[in-house]
Amino acid sequence: MAQLFDPSANTFLRVVMLALVVAPLVFVGGMVASQWSPFTTGLDHTPEQPVPFSHKHHVGELGLDCRYCHASVEDTAFAGMPSTHICMTCHSQLFTNVPMLAPVRESLADGRPLIWNRVNQLPDYVYFDHSIHIAKGVGCAECHGAVHDMPLMRQAQPLSMGWCLSCHRDPGPHLRAQNAITDTTFVADNSPQQAAALMKAYDIHPAHLTDCSVCHR
Amino acid sequence: MTRYELIRGRKRPPTAWMPDRREALAMLAAGSAAALAGCQRPRETITPFVDTANEIAAGEAVRYATALELSGYGRGVVGVVVDGRPIKVEGNAHHPSTLGATDPFIEAAVLDLFDPQRSKTPMRGPVPTDWRALGEALRAQTAAHATDRGAGIALLTGRVLSPTVLKQVEALTTEYPDLQRFRWEPLHDDAERVGAGIAFGRALAFQPRLDAADVVVSLGADLLGPGPDQIRMARGFARRRRPESGPMSRLYAIDTSLTPTGVMADRREAGRPELIHNAAIALAAALGAPLAAPALPPALARLVAQAAGDLKGGGGRGLVLVGPAQAPEIHALAHWMNGQARAPVDVHAPIDPVAQNHADSLLSLVQAMRAGAVKTLIVLDSDPVFGAPPELGFRDALRHVAFTVHAGLYRGATGRAAMWHAPLSHAFESWSDTRALDGTASLVQPLVAPLYDTRSAHAFLAMMRPAADVGDLQRVQATWRAGSDGGDFAGWWTNTLAAGVVPQSAATPATVPAARLPAVTPATTGPGLTLVLRPSPRVWDGRLAANAWLQETPDPISKETWGSSLALAPADAEALKLAAGAAATVRAGTRLIQVSVRIDPGHAQGAASLQTGFGQVDLGPVADGVGANAFALRDASQGFLIQPVEVLAAGAARPPPATQHVFELAPADAGLFPVVAASDLAPAKPRPSPPDLLTPPNPAPIAWAMVIDTSVCIGCNACVVACQAENNVPVIGPEEIAHERDMHWLRVDRYEHPGGQGGFQPVPCMQCEEAPCEPVCPVEASVHDSEGLNDQVYNRCIGTRFCESNCPYKVRRFNFHDNQHWPVFGQLDARSIEAQRNPEVSVRARGVMEKCTYCVQRISAARRTAEKEDRPIRDGEVTTACQGACPTQAISFGNRADPSAAVNAARRDPRHFVLLEELKTKPRTTYLARAANPPDDGGPR
Amino acid sequence: MTQDATSRWLDGPVDLTTVSVQVTAPVLAPRNRGWWIALCASGLLTAVMVAGMVYSFESGVGVWGNNTSVVWGFPIANYVYWIGIGNAGTLISALLLITRQKWRASINRFAEAMTLFAVSIAGVFPILHLGRPMYFYWLAPFPDSHTLWPQWRSALVWDFWAILSYLLFSIVFFYVGLIPDLATLRDRARSKLVARLYGVFALGWRGSLLHWRTHRRLEFLMACMAVPLVCSVHSIVGLDFAASLMPGWDESIFPPYFVVGALFSGFAVVVMLAAWLRGALGLQDIITPRHFEAMARVLVAASIVMGLSYATEWFSAWYGGQGPDVAQLAFTFGGPYRWLYFIMLFCNVAASQVFWLRRARTDMRVLIAVAVLINIGMWLERMLIILNTLSHGHLPSAWRLFTPTLVDFAILAGSFGFFALLMLLFSRLLPVVSMHDVRKLLSEEGLA
Repeated sequence: MAQLFDPSANTFLRVVMLALVVAPLVFVGGMVASQWSPFTTGLDHTPEQPVPFSHKHHVGELGLDCRYCHASVEDTAFAGMPSTHICMTCHSQLFTNVPMLAPVRESLADGRPLIWNRVNQLPDYVYFDHSIHIAKGVGCAECHGAVHDMPLMRQAQPLSMGWCLSCHRDPGPHLRAQNAITDTTFVADNSPQQAAALMKAYDIHPAHLTDCSVCHR
Repeated sequence: MTRYELIRGRKRPPTAWMPDRREALAMLAAGSAAALAGCQRPRETITPFVDTANEIAAGEAVRYATALELSGYGRGVVGVVVDGRPIKVEGNAHHPSTLGATDPFIEAAVLDLFDPQRSKTPMRGPVPTDWRALGEALRAQTAAHATDRGAGIALLTGRVLSPTVLKQVEALTTEYPDLQRFRWEPLHDDAERVGAGIAFGRALAFQPRLDAADVVVSLGADLLGPGPDQIRMARGFARRRRPESGPMSRLYAIDTSLTPTGVMADRREAGRPELIHNAAIALAAALGAPLAAPALPPALARLVAQAAGDLKGGGGRGLVLVGPAQAPEIHALAHWMNGQARAPVDVHAPIDPVAQNHADSLLSLVQAMRAGAVKTLIVLDSDPVFGAPPELGFRDALRHVAFTVHAGLYRGATGRAAMWHAPLSHAFESWSDTRALDGTASLVQPLVAPLYDTRSAHAFLAMMRPAADVGDLQRVQATWRAGSDGGDFAGWWTNTLAAGVVPQSAATPATVPAARLPAVTPATTGPGLTLVLRPSPRVWDGRLAANAWLQETPDPISKETWGSSLALAPADAEALKLAAGAAATVRAGTRLIQVSVRIDPGHAQGAASLQTGFGQVDLGPVADGVGANAFALRDASQGFLIQPVEVLAAGAARPPPATQHVFELAPADAGLFPVVAASDLAPAKPRPSPPDLLTPPNPAPIAWAMVIDTSVCIGCNACVVACQAENNVPVIGPEEIAHERDMHWLRVDRYEHPGGQGGFQPVPCMQCEEAPCEPVCPVEASVHDSEGLNDQVYNRCIGTRFCESNCPYKVRRFNFHDNQHWPVFGQLDARSIEAQRNPEVSVRARGVMEKCTYCVQRISAARRTAEKEDRPIRDGEVTTACQGACPTQAISFGNRADPSAAVNAARRDPRHFVLLEELKTKPRTTYLARAANPPDDGGPR
Repeated sequence: MTQDATSRWLDGPVDLTTVSVQVTAPVLAPRNRGWWIALCASGLLTAVMVAGMVYSFESGVGVWGNNTSVVWGFPIANYVYWIGIGNAGTLISALLLITRQKWRASINRFAEAMTLFAVSIAGVFPILHLGRPMYFYWLAPFPDSHTLWPQWRSALVWDFWAILSYLLFSIVFFYVGLIPDLATLRDRARSKLVARLYGVFALGWRGSLLHWRTHRRLEFLMACMAVPLVCSVHSIVGLDFAASLMPGWDESIFPPYFVVGALFSGFAVVVMLAAWLRGALGLQDIITPRHFEAMARVLVAASIVMGLSYATEWFSAWYGGQGPDVAQLAFTFGGPYRWLYFIMLFCNVAASQVFWLRRARTDMRVLIAVAVLINIGMWLERMLIILNTLSHGHLPSAWRLFTPTLVDFAILAGSFGFFALLMLLFSRLLPVVSMHDVRKLLSEEGLA
């Protein structure tokens, strides 16, 4: 009887069979890999702000301490955002009528708050407390990066659960002395000995740090 | 700077723009799903203050002492406010009526504040209007009375004890000397008042001290039941019910239907009201009163004899309490008996300035209205159209009045029947003051600016007078400045605000002569059934019926939610051919209601009982059509007994859904709720823990544990509602509960031993060390933490429900629906409810399992504080919501690894037992067995 | 019917070609109006199932009867039931192959098809059952940015793997057996298109000796792998219950007893399918009364084992004398579900005893009736395992009854419709009897 297929059919069939195996693997692999992509984590996300506030200028050049504006960072979960009055303590004297600062002046005038776009954002089932991290020697820069070098505030870390755990499992290397807490130029890179010493000094017990209830309720 | 000024200082209500990233939790729970699935996180904004508010730290809880009223009696509480939102109410330790604890009514008050059903704007008939229009109309009307010295003005209020309101009313009466004032509470105390009159010749108020009584006899008095004094009474009772802390008191109870008091009694008998009447006489006779002791059924006779023996002998102090349903003579008789038994009762002049009886007061008002003597009727925070006896015909009596205005938190039936309605502010929204049962005064301070266009009762009353309105704050301060010794008032004010109670404001004790022995005749049991009206432990007299939390709270005895059915003795039900859950028509004369029937094995034969407050029609989607209105069966005398009533089968009904169906424990299950006689208790000795091959003991420095003392749990449900408020537990509505689903993380089981005592057993999560729920969860959403908590990670849960199916205690709760948006509030926009949610607790999404966490958010907060202060967590530093609410302090919680912790003292108690110990789940939540103190006649235990 | 003395299992004048003619006719020369009607009917039921599932996904599992105590309901029962059916096909085919049971030839093909379809249906229910089905993939171990993994101690994770591997294996096993027959279809096809279609899947089978030897080896090898795999699947399903501490569940008997149950219900379905295909496709010569008789024997044997398992449960509960277990037993026989339990006992134990009679073993009506009863009984058994234990757990305060909703029934009924739909398509597109196996049988019987 007549041939149903020409010889190329064999090759074709082999290719198809191979594809049947490979394609799903590639697809799943891609899905998995996408979790770490900046698109998902928001790494380097640098949103527009109502006022183009430059940390580079205020921290890097003027040397303002983080706590001048983020006043409650040592006491409460929320680091605190500066009220319009805080801005105006200086800007009632400096750059009093640059257009860039118009929104701030309006805010003060009609008592409507400035609305900033959040840069570092955690899901709402994550309960993060700034004060305890500060108290236990985790510097601002550990999560917020080289703020002194950011014209516009940028998300410096992936803020994924894996990333949080990497420190919660072994905090030692990431700790610093209290006098360097708000120093964004200081990079914590402790030797095992330093790490151990700091862990002891801050009385940190990692056993508890990886409990789900530490961050989720 | 006070809270008030702070709030007023703002341009917009606080909730609108605080940096409150948890506001939209429910929505974001869904959003988080997307985040997990690998999409981008939703972007949020941050909104700081304009002005630096030095008192408010974003997301931090601030506490303010204030007070709430129940039927006019003030009860000091502490409001917890986060980001300007009151989210929780707690008791005020300095206040004599709360003693730091709460009851369900107090816990639920915060929901009323955010209730979308609240009245939000003044109404003229069915038309929304504004305060200006109402004010003008009101002033025009009152001005017209300048001629008749206010003779045509009638002011109807509930029980009013607020000094400032009373002062305003006084001012009105000076302006309009003939203004008639009426005072009416549907759950009144007329019998007590008259009884006191018979016994002592004048009205008096009484404060029994249960902690000082060795023998307590309750004659239909639900002394542990709901009411303004429940917390104080329960606390006093509990002080004498822990065998290890001194000799136990002995409680005898005769009640018609099973009450918490009956459950907690060492000896309880059921008796229809007439028999309770006669039992009182018999008891008095046994105590030496020259009265002919009427014949009693043997069981009752035996109880009376034992009680009398206990009251006479032993040199202890006895106490006889009589229920509101009993005749004044019986109350008087009780006073006489208490005289004989050297009863620990504090006596003082009544706090309520109005001398007239409630029933008479309302009756005379209606007569005046019908006679056309009333031109202007002002109803302040009272709902007679719902609660008044039908034969008074209050609704059409209103038609004889030219001008009627109703003011209240809810519009309600009266608000709809009146020409005008004025929406009042919630107690958390306005300045005021109030007085407690013992006279102690408290200041009421606002926790939040009014959410809607409402005003305080003060502002409303002030509207009747042309004088320019001073603010409530000034008005209240004026009241107290007048009273103060002219010293540093500002300082006095600040301290009083902080403390929550006005120092030395309690009523001065009155010295009374020995009570006269009243002339009483035995009651004869009439034909037909006697119906007893009982205040509802959930919605009281109906003023709380709109509160979804309270509607969903299971009744302590029947475990019914969303309504209440008519309780009957099995024999009567059989005679009437009524099956459990059947519909019945209850008829008293011409008055009748439709209600479903519940068969209560502990109910007295020949009587029926029904709870008040249900059967609303004009209150809102939550309350309307739920249950039947018991008040509709009352006659003008407004007694709590209705005799005779006819109960006729009326086909099938949809009975209120119950959360527990089996109460009696089979002998095999008796171990689930052990009852030990106080006399049998061995002295505490350290019990060696059995050898254990499963795991080594938890080496962690902290091991959280809870012990619940069933000996003092009165089943009041304060813990249940407290848990609901603290942990964002949703309301799911009657249909879901009828579907055998429920959401309360903490349930209070009630058990009975056949022919013996039972009791209440609160069941939160057991936090097992060998938790059966943990190994079965395929995604490790149910995991153990290093301090022994059994964490449930909501955002990891995929809802296999394997954990609950494997939980021997069935304490896990599943979100079968999107419960946080469950349409309990009908078509109303219920977003305001979201403002009540505790920002420290995740709002759970649909399809997620949830459960008690030992209030892990409070543990975490305490830990962070302690670590910041570089010290260990102190014993008692962490209080769970249920523990803080408990009036009898039945719950102790703490670190089991700390030998000195209170919880360990409890665990060493000989009454200590573990629920289902044989399963080797090693629960962290354990119990103390109920200690009974039965009479020494070998009677039933 | 002319009794052919020389063939033990086949009837009529069958030879190598008549087999091919008879078996391929319904595929290559369709002429059946009944088939279309049946297809529409089952399609309708399938639509009902899909509607029910969509509704459940859309409005949450609250639309079912499940409640706070009885957190599991129909979906789990359906899952266990279908997995059971799914077990039998491969087990029958493989076991009979290994044990050299010649009569296997006529039934193994559609039995394997049954397995395939049943398992795929079963696989849907655990996902449907989830509160948040969109996250079902969290059961799979994959690296994620949370650094979280599944919980290996959970029987559900074992399930996940058991079902997945079993499904994949069954597909391959089915396909391998199919290859020579696909070649037959290819060669007998009338249109080139059809020929090409089957040709592709026949993988260029030429029936050379080498082909046959490899094929036989592979088939036998897979059969050997199949048997333990089959046993593992339903054992693990049994562990979903046995690995708990609820009274009535924590019993070591569950795994074996589940496997037997699976075989039991599976064989019953095979009987039904055999009867249907035989009639509908005119395969009376190939599927003969002797086959039914053999299967009836298996059924009666299995039903006795089932009866023993139940008895063992009762005995161990009574003999152990533990409060909860005894209470559970009392509830089973005295509780509100007792009638369901009695019906279940009748269907699973009593009904098939009729097969002690030879006449019953050969009477189609009896065979079908009993097969239906057995399937009702087996579904009830799975439902009652859930209901009795969860409705009557350790604490009386949590005792609650279960009331199913319309959605529950819609999905259950629909799943049967879907199964029928798949079988119908199968009967139309592939040879329902393994021709090469029948030819082998003929040659072994010396008729070729």
